[in-house]
Amino acid sequence: MANDTATSASGSREKMAEGDKNAEKLKEMANNCFKEKDYDNAIKYYTEALELNPASAIYFSNRSLAYLRTECYGYALADATKCLEIDKNYIKGYYRRATSNMSLGKFKAALKDYETVVRVRPNDKDAKMKYQECNKIVKQKAFERAIASDEIKKSVVDSLDIENMMIEDEYTGPKLEEGKVTMTFMKEMMECFKDQKKLHRKCAYQILIQVKELLSKLPSLIEITLKETEKITICGDTHGQFYDLLNIFELNGLPSETNPYLFNGDFVDRGSFSLEVILTLFGFKLLLPDSFYLLREVSMLLPDSFYLLRGNHETDNMNQMYGFEGEVKAKYTTPMFTLFSEVFQWLPLAQCINGKVLVMHGGLFSEDGVMLDDLRKIDRNRQPPDSGPMCDLLWSDPQPQNGRSVSKRGVSCQFGPDVTERFLEQNNLDYIVRSHEVKAEGYEVTHSGKCITVFSAPNYCDQMANKGAYIHLRGSDLKPEFHQFTAVPHPNVKPMAYANSLMQMGMM
Amino acid sequence: MAARQPFTDSDTADEAVRSTCDDATTCKRYATSKGYWTDPYVQYFVRSVGERKAPEINRGYYARVQGMNHLLDAFLRKTECDCQIVNLGAGLDTTFWRLKDENLMPRKYFEVDFPMIAARKIHNIKTKPPLSKPLIETHSTDSLLLDGHSLDSDRYCIIGADLRDIPGLDDKLKKFHLNPELPTLFLSECVLVYMTPDQSSKLVNWASDTFHTAMFVNYEQLNMMDRFGQVMIENLQRRQCNLAGVEVCQSLESQKERFLKTGWENADALDMMTVYSVIPQDDVARIERLEFLDEKELLQQLLQHYSICWATKDKLKLGLSQVAF
Repeated sequence: MANDTATSASGSREKMAEGDKNAEKLKEMANNCFKEKDYDNAIKYYTEALELNPASAIYFSNRSLAYLRTECYGYALADATKCLEIDKNYIKGYYRRATSNMSLGKFKAALKDYETVVRVRPNDKDAKMKYQECNKIVKQKAFERAIASDEIKKSVVDSLDIENMMIEDEYTGPKLEEGKVTMTFMKEMMECFKDQKKLHRKCAYQILIQVKELLSKLPSLIEITLKETEKITICGDTHGQFYDLLNIFELNGLPSETNPYLFNGDFVDRGSFSLEVILTLFGFKLLLPDSFYLLREVSMLLPDSFYLLRGNHETDNMNQMYGFEGEVKAKYTTPMFTLFSEVFQWLPLAQCINGKVLVMHGGLFSEDGVMLDDLRKIDRNRQPPDSGPMCDLLWSDPQPQNGRSVSKRGVSCQFGPDVTERFLEQNNLDYIVRSHEVKAEGYEVTHSGKCITVFSAPNYCDQMANKGAYIHLRGSDLKPEFHQFTAVPHPNVKPMAYANSLMQMGMM
Repeated sequence: MAARQPFTDSDTADEAVRSTCDDATTCKRYATSKGYWTDPYVQYFVRSVGERKAPEINRGYYARVQGMNHLLDAFLRKTECDCQIVNLGAGLDTTFWRLKDENLMPRKYFEVDFPMIAARKIHNIKTKPPLSKPLIETHSTDSLLLDGHSLDSDRYCIIGADLRDIPGLDDKLKKFHLNPELPTLFLSECVLVYMTPDQSSKLVNWASDTFHTAMFVNYEQLNMMDRFGQVMIENLQRRQCNLAGVEVCQSLESQKERFLKTGWENADALDMMTVYSVIPQDDVARIERLEFLDEKELLQQLLQHYSICWATKDKLKLGLSQVAF
């Protein structure tokens, strides 16, 4: 919009005094300078004109533009504002103010003024274009702000209102008793899952929130002591094979204070009943809590009787590819998957039994010299990094030959019997128990008995025809006792995009 | 006189076998969509990319396609394309179009499958210019010979027939000018396993009887007597799909034997794990980066239960026994 060369509409001809005549002359001179791009002098003459006639919206408006040209945006804004104070119907004033605000990065304010101009001058193409450009910028900034706030780590829990979630009358499934997991609830829930029914999402959320709370208090390395008369059952990968999990409980008894269990990771993915497996395991984790034992001089925290360690499949990447994310989104919601992801991050990474047996999902380390204390110190509330002890604990595999090799998995490493020997010696341990690899017999003893693999998903993926196994470990001798089992039938689950398409029958 | 029941056991069994055509096609469609290999034509046989397939399945099909193509292309080069190819149980295979694109066409390319499948394939070709154009380009006249279950052109022929009915098969192939004097390559991918050992024996015997210079390449199951094999058989039975010829799939020996005792001079076989390790490894490295495989054991088990077996007879002394990996 060009500067006004006409006489001001706001002043009547009668009021034009000598001063005003001179002011007009000065304005003329200023305009000429402006045309010549001599902005400094234009400003000078507008200023002199304003001294003679301070009530001129035009002079302020013209000087505002000259200031814009010389990048004095603050002055330009002030002049534009003054101009509109004098004459709120002076359209150019809005234009000037919008331009000033744009230059100052105040896009929302500018947008308001452009809106005004477009409203009053709907056929002004330039105004419309400026409005649209400004609008785009305002939207872009809002989007950037939204993304920035996502990066701040806040839990999805904060956005859920579990207390006020309603359970409909028609729901006949299991419910927590006063918000707590009980053995009755566990039995009902397992029955419900067996019949392929769904747990109400409120109950699922309650379990997840409580488990997250519980796990977050645990160290990254769990240390337990088994008394002479006590035993523990160690299970390997279960991979969503719920009916085989039920079979383990059938064969070996339900978890209890006298029948402790350790599940060594990879509870989900591939199998079509991952949700049922994980909710059952989390339920038992809540059921068998810590208890204080005060009869000795020192109060000791008795361990829980139910332990869960993280596997490489308790991670976002794996869940996205191998079915768990899809399953949760299909059966429940996306926020629930986000919560699962948060809970998985708090799963401990390793467990030491009687200071002699170390259990982890993957295996040992890409470098020598890792001590148990290093494992205690791992800050685990995250997705595993590409390398380092946390990554190795979840990903590595033993190999028959000495030394280390690049992993066939493309992550972490393969470690030989000498690596195992050195690690055990430095940490005063007897042997390690790990999972992570399917074995035909359900278990395998390697590295002269110092590295044991246990895998508890029989007929893995409905294809492998492998046996499953679990280990009994007694406090009295810490010698592993192996128990094998075969797959049990499961419902022919209707093809769902996440699980069943992964279960092919081979190539035809 | 008892009226013939509309769906006898054998109809159900045949129907189940025909459905395996869809398995192969959809798996190949999915794998190509992920970039495992290029096949610009499979999309005209099955439009939608479909459900995710497991990475080991994609790698398995990759090995299958690379393996079969390796032998096929080697035969074409050995015979300098002065030969015929007969794809038995071809399904919705797109090899003809690949060979045309690569200028590697035999004198004539024959495909045989159940009439219902042949009809389906012909319909697809008729209605999709990207499929019909290349065909028409290779044909000397303006019109192709088409009926419900067969299509005949100068270089490409589709025949609806039952592979268990040898006289019928022989008739139809001769009708469409299959030349017993030309070196001929027979291909079968997961086909013989669906018929009894006796029926497949008659088929490979007919091939060796009819042609003096020929090669037969057979891809199918292997090591089926172990637990993995048993599980596969059970899984398939739940789909009413019988592996009637699974006896021959015991070992590499039994696969070779079926050819050696039906008039073929030489026979060789490899399990797919071995094939996977001898096909160009830089391309294998490329496809392994396409999708992360969480459990390598799954791929190994799968590949150890499939094999490629190839047999030759070489009256013209073309050196066919050198066609190998």
